Amino acid sequence: MPKTTTSTPVIQLTDLTKRYGFGDTAHKALNEVTLTIEKGEFIAVMGPSGCGKTTLLNVIGLLDRASEGDYDLDGKSVASLSGKQHARIRSSQIGIVFQSFNLIHRLNVLENVALPLTYSGIPHLKRLERASEILKTFHLQEREYYMPWQLSGGQMQRVAIARALVNNPSIILADEPTGNLDSRSSHVIMEELSQLHKQGNTIIMVTHNPNLTSYASRVITMLDGKIASDTSTMPDPTTPKKSVKVPLNQHAKRKEKAPKAVKSPRKKTRKAAK
Amino acid sequence: MIQLLTDHVQNAYHSLKSNRGRTLLTVLGIAIGIASVTCTLAISDGVRKMVDTQVSAFDGKLAVVRPGFKSHDPNQLVNPVTQQSFSTSTLTDADITALSKLPNVEAAVPLMTIEGTIHAQHATGPNSVVLATTPDFAKVSNITMLSGKFLDDTADNNTAVIGVQLAISLFDTDHPIGEAFTMRGQQFTVVGVLRQESAPINFNNVDLNNAVVVSFEQGKNFNQGRSQIQQIDLLAKESSSLSSVAKQAKSKLISQHQGEEDFSITSGKAITQPTGQLFQAMTGVMTAIAAISLIVGGIGIMNIMLVGVAERTREIGIRKAVGASQRAIVAQFLIESLIMSGFGGLIGYGFGYLSAFIVSIFLYFTPAFSWQTAGIALAMMIAVGLFFGLYPALKAARKDTIESLRQYH
Repeated sequence: MPKTTTSTPVIQLTDLTKRYGFGDTAHKALNEVTLTIEKGEFIAVMGPSGCGKTTLLNVIGLLDRASEGDYDLDGKSVASLSGKQHARIRSSQIGIVFQSFNLIHRLNVLENVALPLTYSGIPHLKRLERASEILKTFHLQEREYYMPWQLSGGQMQRVAIARALVNNPSIILADEPTGNLDSRSSHVIMEELSQLHKQGNTIIMVTHNPNLTSYASRVITMLDGKIASDTSTMPDPTTPKKSVKVPLNQHAKRKEKAPKAVKSPRKKTRKAAK
Repeated sequence: MIQLLTDHVQNAYHSLKSNRGRTLLTVLGIAIGIASVTCTLAISDGVRKMVDTQVSAFDGKLAVVRPGFKSHDPNQLVNPVTQQSFSTSTLTDADITALSKLPNVEAAVPLMTIEGTIHAQHATGPNSVVLATTPDFAKVSNITMLSGKFLDDTADNNTAVIGVQLAISLFDTDHPIGEAFTMRGQQFTVVGVLRQESAPINFNNVDLNNAVVVSFEQGKNFNQGRSQIQQIDLLAKESSSLSSVAKQAKSKLISQHQGEEDFSITSGKAITQPTGQLFQAMTGVMTAIAAISLIVGGIGIMNIMLVGVAERTREIGIRKAVGASQRAIVAQFLIESLIMSGFGGLIGYGFGYLSAFIVSIFLYFTPAFSWQTAGIALAMMIAVGLFFGLYPALKAARKDTIESLRQYH
């Protein structure tokens, strides 16, 4: 754990299961996932396609409900809350960044960034002001009145991140934020995210790109709906760097998409799931 | 809350503007529906107002005696005159004399209609209504003369007053004083022309613009010397005494008719009731027909809203992901459909009155404005917007967030 705190974890998942289909066709996208995420962590979730990374993110982002298990957000169970309360949490505590940016094409950059503020009841002018401030930190101020389709992919993703941040959420969820970007733009985006991390935000990022895990403070690998490995990069440079073999590697020979990230010498196993 | 509402309105405005063509067509559908309803109601308001003003012109001094048993059936609409032309009237000359002698009665005016073809020198007026009445008719019917004078006590039986329309069609002039025409083999001289009456539908059931008015005596001559009274207009001296006049007239007539109440006396608004009922029924039927076009317009709204929801599935997903509740999504789409139906309603209300006034060029009355019509139009446009917008809005709100985000457009 990068930070030893006694406070309640931001996210606490206990035996979380998400099942699709019934009976014989039942398929568990998440299979009894137990995970604790502390405030200020930057977590990279890796794993092959269909291993449940995105489902995990959707459940954490309250876009989806788990079939079984508990999800405590800031120490409060989420299952008992109504859809309206979920919407309020999404608007105030969670910012989501998508692979395909998901900007509304009808609205310009400024309005897109201001969109989440609409649902927290902030007056129009104040919303635009706030959005403009955020855009300034992303060096997109001169693009405020551009339409999304006039921007490059990297710029669009920066707008999307600005939108995720405009409500000052405590958690930022990013579903392959660099999946549609070239490597240069990817690193720009990752720099932005790690900047946010340094400012104390909790970030959970799903990625396919092992190179990007170097930005994260903790790397979780998933396989078949379970957490296969959970390594945390030591923020403390004095700790000896040590390469650790993860059970997942056996699997990697069969699965092409198995992450190479776990070979990274800067990581150490924190907890390995069965 | 209000903040969110103004946001929704702005948002709806933008999204409607970005699909200007189909928004306009949808609005047009609603506008046509509302316009047809408004037009129908405006015309019927005009009729009602016209009949009401005729009666109220006598300031509550007028009572009407009609022969025959009083009908209590409000659905008796086809025959506002309770007297059929082929039956003998139960009212007699003696009744008129008795009624006019009652205290507080200013005038008792008998009305008798005969049919006759009028032959002028150069033209023929086919099947004109011939009204035989006494000179007091001028008092109870609020008529004004275009030229000449109305029949008076000194008038000869061979003189007649004619309506202005008839004057023009017979003599090509609206001042045919002294001109002669023959009717039923009898020659008449025109002594007066009635001013154009804007109310051919009136409590006397006579279209005075096309009528010939002759003396009551002459009318009896045409009818084998017997009177055939279809109505007696009773004018009280004071409006306060009207009810007592009506009561006295009733008991007087019953005693004259050997205890049989084979007539009816109506006063005030009840005089117009047969006409009013007829028009209410007509208005009801016409409004129902007009409402069909409104329903079609509403279906247009629903259709376009469903298209909009399908097109903006991704947007709905994004909005939900950044914190929109289901209620916010419902409100967003509902407000959009309300704006469409609202605009349609306003345009339709305007167009409805415009078309009502255009139609009234060919009718005898002008449409009237009333708050009932405005209220009905307003209620209808809101109802249509809500009713036909609700299903698409709910459909939008119930979309699965993750599924919606996966959709590409």
